[in-house]
Amino acid sequence: MDKLLNPDFGVMALTIVNFLLLVWLLHKFAWKGLIGALEKREQQIADDKAAAAQARQEAQGLKAELDARLQQIAQEAAKKMQEAVALGNAQKEQLLSETKQQAERLLEQAKAQIEAEKNQALADVREQVVNTALLAAVKITQQQVNAQTAQQAVDEVLREVSGQESARA
Amino acid sequence: MEVSETIAHHILDHDFGVMVGTLHLPVTAHTVTMVCISLVLLLTGILMARRGKSVFSRLLHTAGEEYVAFMRDGIVVPGMGVEGKQFLSYFCTLFLFILFSNLAGLIPQMKTITSNISVTGGLALCSGALIVYCGLKFHGLWGFIKTFVPGGTPWWLVPLIFPLEVISLLIRVCVLAIRLFANMLSGHMVLLSLLLIIFIIGGMSKMAGTGAAIPAMGLEIFMTLLELLVAFLQAYVFTLLTSIYVGLVIHSH
Repeated sequence: MDKLLNPDFGVMALTIVNFLLLVWLLHKFAWKGLIGALEKREQQIADDKAAAAQARQEAQGLKAELDARLQQIAQEAAKKMQEAVALGNAQKEQLLSETKQQAERLLEQAKAQIEAEKNQALADVREQVVNTALLAAVKITQQQVNAQTAQQAVDEVLREVSGQESARA
Repeated sequence: MEVSETIAHHILDHDFGVMVGTLHLPVTAHTVTMVCISLVLLLTGILMARRGKSVFSRLLHTAGEEYVAFMRDGIVVPGMGVEGKQFLSYFCTLFLFILFSNLAGLIPQMKTITSNISVTGGLALCSGALIVYCGLKFHGLWGFIKTFVPGGTPWWLVPLIFPLEVISLLIRVCVLAIRLFANMLSGHMVLLSLLLIIFIIGGMSKMAGTGAAIPAMGLEIFMTLLELLVAFLQAYVFTLLTSIYVGLVIHSH
């Protein structure tokens, strides 16, 4: 069992030579290529990440620009809407005013026409009354009448006048 | 043959060395296994580095890249800093070599060569040489010598501290060898002892031996699984400690 702890220097030397030779051969034929491929892949990933970050930054800038533009458009739309509302209100007021004026004018015309027709009617009535009075006076003067006959004559004249009025209507 | 002799016979390496002129070449089960492991590793490494079109080839290549990335980000850079990247090949080889050496004993007719103090001693000497090389490379001769005296040490303590620090470095290298050797040897001995229990009890009574075989085999399976874990763990520990020791020399201030 003591041999377990006694190193064999020949085996030790062979181990060292074998291991160092293996390190050199694997470095030359395996690890160099693998490390190169790994670093290349990592570099590619880093480049892709950088490109993605840059694209993201650009997209964020573009988004901010579009947001600002959108806000500006919204403001312009709101302003134009306010202007349109104001214009509409002004046109509405103008139309109402014109309509009111026209209505008043028509009313005035109608009133004037009514007044004129009324005056005309009154003139006609007055003329008729005068004629009737003249007629009655003629009749009164032509015959001796008492109060009763005079009353009858007036009534007759009035009936004639009302007959003429209804016939005119 | 006594039990201890049986265990020793199975564990000890037997030299069938040949003489090439005056040079003695140790041809043992361990050295043959070591050469076989080296060839397998070399072949695996070459296959991993090639990027063929087949799925297997691409899988192997990806596994190789992941292994290198693990060694770099999990062991070398944390232990040695970015300066350690130039020694990545050494650590990649070291881990796989120790791992395959630990696992080789699970294959019939092959040996766990890391249960041989000469093999672990050789690997520890390589690590020690790397420590010294890095000390000389990064600090120069005088700078490397100064790393053995911590900053702020009173001048009259230097004659005491300097030899202690040198011995500390040597002990670290020795401990690397002994830790790996002891862990792998003990596991091997436990496995062998469990098997021998069956034969010892069977020698006394065949019925008892048959009864003892069931728990012994259960323990044998458990210990084999444990050995599998220990194989990975010890390869990792040896590689990690080497990187830490080298890192301590590189970043001594």
